[in-house]
Amino acid sequence: MAEVTFDYGGRVALVTGAGRGLGFATAKTLHQAGATVAVNDRTAESCQAVIARLGGGPRLIAAPADLATTDGPVQAVAQATANGRLDFLINNAAVNVERPIAATDDAHWDQHLSVILRASFLTVQAALPFLRSSRGCIVNIASELGLHAIANNVAYVSAKHGLIAMTKAMAIELAPSGIRANAICPGTMDTELMQECARDSGDPESYYAAFNRYHPIGRLATPDEVAAFVLCLLSPAAAYMTGAAVAIDGGSTAGRL
Amino acid sequence: MTEFAGKTILVTGSTRGIGAAAARLFLERGGSVILHGRRQADVDAAVARLSTTYSGRVRGLSADLSDRTACRALAASIETLDVLVNCGGIFHEAAIAETSPTLWDETVAVNLTAPWVLAQSLLPKLRASRGAIVNVASDAALLGYAGCVAYCASKGALVGLTRALATELTPDVRVLCVCPGPTETDMMRASISVAPDRDKARQQWASYTLLNRVASPVEIGEAILLAASPRASYLTGSLIMADGGATAGKRV
Repeated sequence: MAEVTFDYGGRVALVTGAGRGLGFATAKTLHQAGATVAVNDRTAESCQAVIARLGGGPRLIAAPADLATTDGPVQAVAQATANGRLDFLINNAAVNVERPIAATDDAHWDQHLSVILRASFLTVQAALPFLRSSRGCIVNIASELGLHAIANNVAYVSAKHGLIAMTKAMAIELAPSGIRANAICPGTMDTELMQECARDSGDPESYYAAFNRYHPIGRLATPDEVAAFVLCLLSPAAAYMTGAAVAIDGGSTAGRL
Repeated sequence: MTEFAGKTILVTGSTRGIGAAAARLFLERGGSVILHGRRQADVDAAVARLSTTYSGRVRGLSADLSDRTACRALAASIETLDVLVNCGGIFHEAAIAETSPTLWDETVAVNLTAPWVLAQSLLPKLRASRGAIVNVASDAALLGYAGCVAYCASKGALVGLTRALATELTPDVRVLCVCPGPTETDMMRASISVAPDRDKARQQWASYTLLNRVASPVEIGEAILLAASPRASYLTGSLIMADGGATAGKRV
């Protein structure tokens, strides 16, 4: 990957769902770029584990909260803003369990809609006073499945489409306040979760091969390269971008190979 | 015209507005229509209005769309179905800071979860008839508007629901989404009535469209009928933008 460097010294970021995958990669990359990073995950232990992996120090804040609850987003923001400042909010926390329509029960539907859509809304709402002061920036981690659908994933596809529409509404409402809001739409990433799914499939090689074929570029994304793009969106290089839903999906939504 | 003769169509939110216009068009073209509204009295009045002309082809059911159990009971009371039109929806203006969790939840429940629950519950009947689902979203599914974040999110998600259902249910059931632009309904009138300058508010709605006017409910009803019609047999997963060009370009 080409080296992209940004300097976020003095800036404070909250990354939700930072325990692993893209959330962890984004927290890591922001921290390396000099930002103070508030790490959200469901438990204090998990947040502390991330902080330990990143080497600890004063620029890492634990912000544990269960975002599926109504109070969770408020708690996460309160911890992240203990020093009175927030510049960047990255709504990354998500769940993704594939289910056919018939097997999609209320609990499954509610969990996806709560974590992906409702929590992102409530976190922005809680962070808004701080983002107004800093003329800050929101990045919502959507998915290529916010732009098109696959079968057996109705709750996730609905929630991610909603997240993109929510991003646009926020971008319009907050533009006069100097707050930018954008969404990125990653394709399949080679995360720990992906590796677990591949193992569980019993045939990791063909599991990966199928996903590689699905993306015209012929491979999965690395969380680090997607995180690097999140940093681009937070940077002055993207100062004129707001309300965008950027596909970073190896060409998946662009056409058919 | 008898395009919908022998077909049974459920139109949610059809005691007024776009749903009422669509229901009347389905009846005009031979269909049997199940009207739906939240209050039984409104449903009874709508059924009475249409029964004089379309006797034997109109009935009505009431259900609170924010209540999943009520949605499932509604679905269970229907024996056969050819077309499900998810038209019931709510719109409340509220800035991000003023959108309470309750307002968020109610908006998502009615505009997104009710269409999902009805689609899932009625699926066996729609498969049996090789039917169609028409979700009525909004241009706000694709265009962000200030002051209605919950509405925009719920309608965007409804587009996702449309695509996910279309992908999974093909070729048995076609699933389409009609996205109306600003339409002369009670929903819009309510929004205009609280504006400081009503004429300006009305003109602002119109100005979002290339046609520079708001739609009549019948114009949106026609798009819904097209989506539901066998003439649209190669349309599935599509958005029909009945928005006066709002998403196509911007008047400057």
